[in-house]
Amino acid sequence: MAEKYDSTTATFMGVPRKEIPWWPTIDYAKCNFCMDCDKFCPHKVFEKHEDKEKKLVVANPYNCVVFCRACMKLCEPDALIFPEKKEITALIKNIRNKSENND
Amino acid sequence: MTKKVSVLPCCGINKTVGLVTTEIGLKLKEINRSIELISPATLSVDQKRFQELILESQVIVIDGCATRCATKLLENGQYTKVKRIFIPEESKKYEFRLGKTLRLSGEGKKFAEKIAKRILDELKKEAERVKEPIVERDFGTIDYFEVTYDKYHFRVPKAGYYFSENDCWVKQEGEKALLGVTDYLQNKSSDILFVDLPEIGKEVEQFDEIVNFESVKALLSLISPVSGVVSAINGKLEEEPDLLNNDPYEQGWTIEITLTDFDEEKELLMDGKTYFEYMKKKIEEEL
Repeated sequence: MAEKYDSTTATFMGVPRKEIPWWPTIDYAKCNFCMDCDKFCPHKVFEKHEDKEKKLVVANPYNCVVFCRACMKLCEPDALIFPEKKEITALIKNIRNKSENND
Repeated sequence: MTKKVSVLPCCGINKTVGLVTTEIGLKLKEINRSIELISPATLSVDQKRFQELILESQVIVIDGCATRCATKLLENGQYTKVKRIFIPEESKKYEFRLGKTLRLSGEGKKFAEKIAKRILDELKKEAERVKEPIVERDFGTIDYFEVTYDKYHFRVPKAGYYFSENDCWVKQEGEKALLGVTDYLQNKSSDILFVDLPEIGKEVEQFDEIVNFESVKALLSLISPVSGVVSAINGKLEEEPDLLNNDPYEQGWTIEITLTDFDEEKELLMDGKTYFEYMKKKIEEEL
């Protein structure tokens, strides 16, 4: 899915997706590599590296849907961390205001 | 507890989260012998065996992991009332990590007991609660933008609704507003089986997850396009979750919110025309 989705040109609320730091971080001290998050995420945010120590990585952070935390909800060991939503909202507003002022 | 209750745990033997579902089922039966246990293995090969029970009882569906085997088994049969328990959610609620063990630990059993007791408490409270009468909301006549891709039909109200990029809508009505999901989100999730509505009085911030719902395909959330306080819920969705699929902009509304900051928050939302174009682009990228 989303083959035509290009995170380099994508925007969210008018802000380039690349300027919004929203994606999950894996807490490797807790992760049990059940891979449920990878099976679930339709946007291919995660990638499996079976032969490496970190068997799961966040490979495509900008594919992550801003404000979506569905993978976190299904993570039994609670190993996925998201940024503070409030801070991201404030950041988006800031960037929008700046670009409006420049127009 | 006046109504008959049955329990359908996933019983996944190869995962600790699966074992805990079995334990919850057994605990419930131990405490209240009138509760009927449904074996997922039997149900998977013989739909008829539990058909009547599933139809006439409130079924407590317990899933250990995101594969949600119990939920998927239930989907094939007809049911009236369901209460769902999802172990990853419970782990967070009780701040308890099951770990990976072959057999359920003593701590794991205590965790299961806590959940079982809470389920019984909730059932008791639900039975005692006087249900507020369901008032149908009047939406008048709404004009829609419409488009069809494959077998999926998408509508977007032309006026009166604002949309977020997370595919949720808000319809202002004075100081209050109704919230719901768009055709894009309901088509994407396919048949919705359960809707978890928040309590009245709950405070919501813009872009919080406020309503959780579950389809055969996925666990989804309505991400609130606005801040406020929940002032009403659409109780009809508990018995008819398919309203979210069949009538997402009107009788499938989810909650009503008393708005706190709509004028400012509106700046981050789209009107019908803009959202319709945004949605079409998104669908085309996914085709």
